Amino acid sequence: MQTTQTEIMTGISESAVISNVRAFVQENFLYMMPDFELADDDRLLEKGVVDSMGISELISYIESEFGVVAAEDEISEANFGSLRSIARFVTARRTLATG
Amino acid sequence: MAAAIEHRGPDGHGFYVGQRMGLAHVRLSIVDVEGGAQPLANEDGQIVISYNGEIYNHLELRRELESVGHVFRTRCDTEVVVHGYEEWGVDVLHRLNGQFAFAIYDRNSESLFIARDRFGVRPLFYAQQNGDLYFGSEIKAILASGEVHAALDRRGLDEVLSLWGARPPRTPFDGIASLEPGTYGIWKDGALWLRRYYELDFPEAPEEPVDVVEQLDELMLRSVGMRMRADVPVGAYVSGGLDSSITASLAATASPHSLRTFSISFDDPEFDESAHQREIASAVGSIHSVASIGQNSIAETFPEVLWHAETPLLRTAPVPMYHLAKLTKESGIKVVLTGEGADELFLGYDIFKEVSVRRFCMRRPESLYRQRLFDRLYPYLRQQGQGGGEFWRRSFLDAGSPNDPLFSHLPRFILSSRIRDFYTPSFRDALGGTDVVAELRASLPTRFFGWSPLNQAAYLEMTTLLSTYLLSSQGDRMAMAHGVEGRFPFLDHRLFEFAAALPTGSRLRGLREKEVLRRWASRILPKGIKGRGKQPYRAPDAPSFFAAGAPSWISDHLSADSLRRVGIFSPTSVEGLLRRCRAGLATGFRENQAIVGILSTQMWYDQFIRSTRNVAPLSTSTASVILGDGEPVLS
Repeated sequence: MQTTQTEIMTGISESAVISNVRAFVQENFLYMMPDFELADDDRLLEKGVVDSMGISELISYIESEFGVVAAEDEISEANFGSLRSIARFVTARRTLATG
Repeated sequence: MAAAIEHRGPDGHGFYVGQRMGLAHVRLSIVDVEGGAQPLANEDGQIVISYNGEIYNHLELRRELESVGHVFRTRCDTEVVVHGYEEWGVDVLHRLNGQFAFAIYDRNSESLFIARDRFGVRPLFYAQQNGDLYFGSEIKAILASGEVHAALDRRGLDEVLSLWGARPPRTPFDGIASLEPGTYGIWKDGALWLRRYYELDFPEAPEEPVDVVEQLDELMLRSVGMRMRADVPVGAYVSGGLDSSITASLAATASPHSLRTFSISFDDPEFDESAHQREIASAVGSIHSVASIGQNSIAETFPEVLWHAETPLLRTAPVPMYHLAKLTKESGIKVVLTGEGADELFLGYDIFKEVSVRRFCMRRPESLYRQRLFDRLYPYLRQQGQGGGEFWRRSFLDAGSPNDPLFSHLPRFILSSRIRDFYTPSFRDALGGTDVVAELRASLPTRFFGWSPLNQAAYLEMTTLLSTYLLSSQGDRMAMAHGVEGRFPFLDHRLFEFAAALPTGSRLRGLREKEVLRRWASRILPKGIKGRGKQPYRAPDAPSFFAAGAPSWISDHLSADSLRRVGIFSPTSVEGLLRRCRAGLATGFRENQAIVGILSTQMWYDQFIRSTRNVAPLSTSTASVILGDGEPVLS
């Protein structure tokens, strides 16, 4: 697999973040629905994967796992609405931190 | 059958033994303690009644009936129903102001007349089996007949787990029905005919009457005054909120004795309101007692609570009410006034504000300013880390269209029904694709669609939560477990009709709930207890079952073997939930409801479906009264 410029700068790729967060979501929010297939762009709230309480838990995990901090006004659909948007937020934030 | 519900009437029992009908009764003696034994017959023994409840206007009805020639043998309100039925037939129901469930055997027509009060305060269940009718105040009485066997009604259970309670006539027991509130039935020649005699209606007026506060004052004083009628001392529950402050305050004024008041306190400060309760008790001058709920109280009592509730539960909130009734009984009080019903009549619950805010936001979906009203609406959830932020607001805004008649309650229904994710595939298949919410939507009366959105929400609250959960699992069943009768001044039907005809703005103005009630209460309440905002009554859920020292039977009921044997919930899914509960991660509504719902379903199944408790029959030799076909009265 080709290493991207972002991955070099942040030490983690979007696909790795997606894979990591998917595992967390499956273990903590989809354990009762083992057949549920979560796509990268599925809206987590709309699909009923997480509720507002779950989002708080998910954000806490992301902050501790990837060493990023989300300000209150960044906790939005745009940044945390799907696995892909989370991965973009994490890699962008780590790029800023390391760049 | 009577022995199974002796807790409801520990003061005496009696029987009617006829050729075609048998009646059994256990008595909680409150009015005419000496003379009111039941079953009770009329003068010639042709009309026999078994009755549970109170008719508050019995003195007025008695005078009316005496004026047309009826002769009374007792001072008991029960006898008013007997003579009232003789005089007016089933139309007697329209004249009764009270909370009741009864059965009248009419030997003249060889028919049985069963009825339940307007709002469903008192329960009445029935089952038809091999051409016979079995009925009782609780399902365990019917099962004790030995003729009706307990079996799971999957759709009934699905309703319980989706709506917090099955909607009458459905119950979680196959073949056992709950008589709907405001309904009566006639059993004759092996067939049961059901008719509704009271319908909830909201004929909202465009303007508030100029004397609205005076009207409310008269209705409230009369309602409380009638509910203080008893030959035993009447006490009051005090929650810390406005409604029970009103009932306790009026009861203290009306009581010939020093009023006894009772409250619940929690070790956990998140749930505790004891400071407010003490203030109220002090202000009304009552002798106050507190049932303290410690860390393990809920788990330890949960099996007994389920036995009395006879249904799975999604919250543990009935458990403290069970302890409260126990304390009340031990304090020598068997009648209490409570504030139940005020939130439904005067739009006090957060769900009413929520529906207004959701509609307000949807008119300008792009406005973040409007959406921040959700944060103001649920400040206590924000403090617990459950609220706030865009996702929190979106969870309200994405829950259905304003054109959906169930719009107000969809967030609650959607949240509760997530427990269905834990069903096994076979249980889901057996449900056959039924949709509880769609069935509710299809059952709404035509007049519902002419009401304002807030009155639609009030109707849904009264029909899906008040009668099916608050007045039953959390109300009647917990109080009657200890032979305590709850009385509800706000559920006087004339007060309901008054409130339902007010403009909704008189009840909910902006985000200020119970506006007209507050206006009136400021006149009558002691200073310092009238301005407090709504604080929902809650009890600890998941943590109750996973704290240190929790009973070992919890793990047994939730084991893979036990789950497989019952077959409703997937062991793999429940294992994931248990892992999160044990780690203290199950902190949201969804998982808290799931763990309480799953555990209570497993326990309920074992208590009722898989086995049953045997109780020794009540002795005829100690009966207060035994009636029969041949003799008018054999007391």
